[in-house]
Amino acid sequence: MKRLLGVALGILTAIGGFVDIGDLVTNAVVGSRFGLSLVWVVVVGVVGIILFANMSGRVAAVSGRATFEVIRERLGPRAGLANLAASFLINLMTVTAEIGGVALALQLASSVYYLLWIPVAAVAVWLVIWRVRFSIMENVTGLLGLTLVIFAVAVFLLKPDWGSLAGQVLAPSVPQQETAWSYSYYAIALFGAAMTPYEVFFFSSGAVEEKWGVKDLAQSRINVLVGFPLGGLLSISIAICAALVLLPAGISVTSLSQVILPVAEGAGKLGLAFVLVGIVAATFGAALETTLSSGYTLAQFFGWSWGKFRRPAEAARFHLSMIVCLLVGIGVLATGVDPVLVTEYSVVFSAIALPLTYLPILIVANDPQYMHEHVNGRAVNALGMVYLVIILVASLAAIPLMIVTGAGS
Amino acid sequence: MLNTPAWAPAAKGRAHGAAGFAILAVAALAFLTGCSGGTGQSVSTAVKDSSSAVATARIALRQDMEGKLTRAAASTTLDDELKEVHTSRSTVLKLSPASQEDRDLQKQALDVLDQCAAGFATARAALATSDGGSPSLSDGDKALAGAQDALKQLEGKVGDK
Repeated sequence: MKRLLGVALGILTAIGGFVDIGDLVTNAVVGSRFGLSLVWVVVVGVVGIILFANMSGRVAAVSGRATFEVIRERLGPRAGLANLAASFLINLMTVTAEIGGVALALQLASSVYYLLWIPVAAVAVWLVIWRVRFSIMENVTGLLGLTLVIFAVAVFLLKPDWGSLAGQVLAPSVPQQETAWSYSYYAIALFGAAMTPYEVFFFSSGAVEEKWGVKDLAQSRINVLVGFPLGGLLSISIAICAALVLLPAGISVTSLSQVILPVAEGAGKLGLAFVLVGIVAATFGAALETTLSSGYTLAQFFGWSWGKFRRPAEAARFHLSMIVCLLVGIGVLATGVDPVLVTEYSVVFSAIALPLTYLPILIVANDPQYMHEHVNGRAVNALGMVYLVIILVASLAAIPLMIVTGAGS
Repeated sequence: MLNTPAWAPAAKGRAHGAAGFAILAVAALAFLTGCSGGTGQSVSTAVKDSSSAVATARIALRQDMEGKLTRAAASTTLDDELKEVHTSRSTVLKLSPASQEDRDLQKQALDVLDQCAAGFATARAALATSDGGSPSLSDGDKALAGAQDALKQLEGKVGDK
């Protein structure tokens, strides 16, 4: 019974923790501009993150060490450094975007200007990382993030023409007012939002924090195989909401305040309360995860003592590096840069840097020295190779498309 | 168990070089993505962005009137969209049109964007008025509807060129 509850909790937190500011913004932008013609990318992204997280979770559970430690040891410091530079910079961008997201959501709830919320949000992130146990931190934010299910509820309350929606999903095409270039650019952004590298580093380091072993592999697989697809459905609901309310009004999403309007349209003030709680929880949870991921990657590369399972005094550099990351995030946001813009760039840069994080995990997951009999099977490797090609294409195409489309504008 | 890093100085140099290249690449990207076409294209983009902002504000105002949106969320939405209009206006203002036709287009766009900003001022004042006084929420919606019509006309004109 206890094990069953553990599995259920794991699935629920995986769903609630799936959506972050990148998913919220990118899905809403895509829904408002392209309708449901890019839903297939979410499906591709969700299968990719399942594959990616499953491999890195298995590496952590079998070797007892986080992915980054193993990458550095297996591939050497130079390859590890490229990986570190890419992952860390994207993590930093994502930390900034998530803290900005918390502040924007709090502004929507209170009408107090978001810049005033930024230090509050950052201090809260630091306090939780400093004081709260890993499992509590993960479960509370994940469960509160489940209130984002209101997006799916709003879809039904908005009484859509299901046939038309199905048509857009099954026969995707570039809308008349958009170009094939912008369609491709947002396809990559959506893919990057679904496959953000920090999720994988957090997942594998979390496995070490929670002392997973081989016996926990089944539960980890269930969490990923059930929780992530349901989280993906949440992402698609966000796009559907935007496609139903914002697209017909000629609205292109540029702010978080636009993302909540379809929910208010369908579910009124109660729905609004749910969505605001959900956005705060999702962005706050992701801010915790990205901040921790920044600390994890640095500490695991440089060989510092790390982990929330250790007292802060025993992992001083790990905690200090996270404080510095939060301060950098505050500094960037204090310049007045739009957090939504930071988010839009961060998801595209995630896609650009994805090969640097994906390939090493694929290599290590095939190394019997670390994985023993738990190396990738043939089917996983075949899928892994297909995704390697997809990831490489997305990575190579992202910058030219960014230039051609003026970053999607 | 974990190896400590053992970088050679050359590797450090390469790392610095790579960091410099990355900064340059990001700066070049920011420059290139910030580049835009001529006056017509810039005005067209500004008008589209402002149309989207005004349409959003009208939905927020309507939802507020119907009791679907809290005052905090409605006023935040209006603030966000006003910022969008300001950005568009600033873009149009900074254009350097080369021909008389482009100068006329710039002037028309600025007039319409000013009308949008005025519409937003009325709508925000309506939201701030809680005693049922003037302007009312429907006054705010009317002002925004007027701005939306003007934007549509300008959009048609820019599209015809």
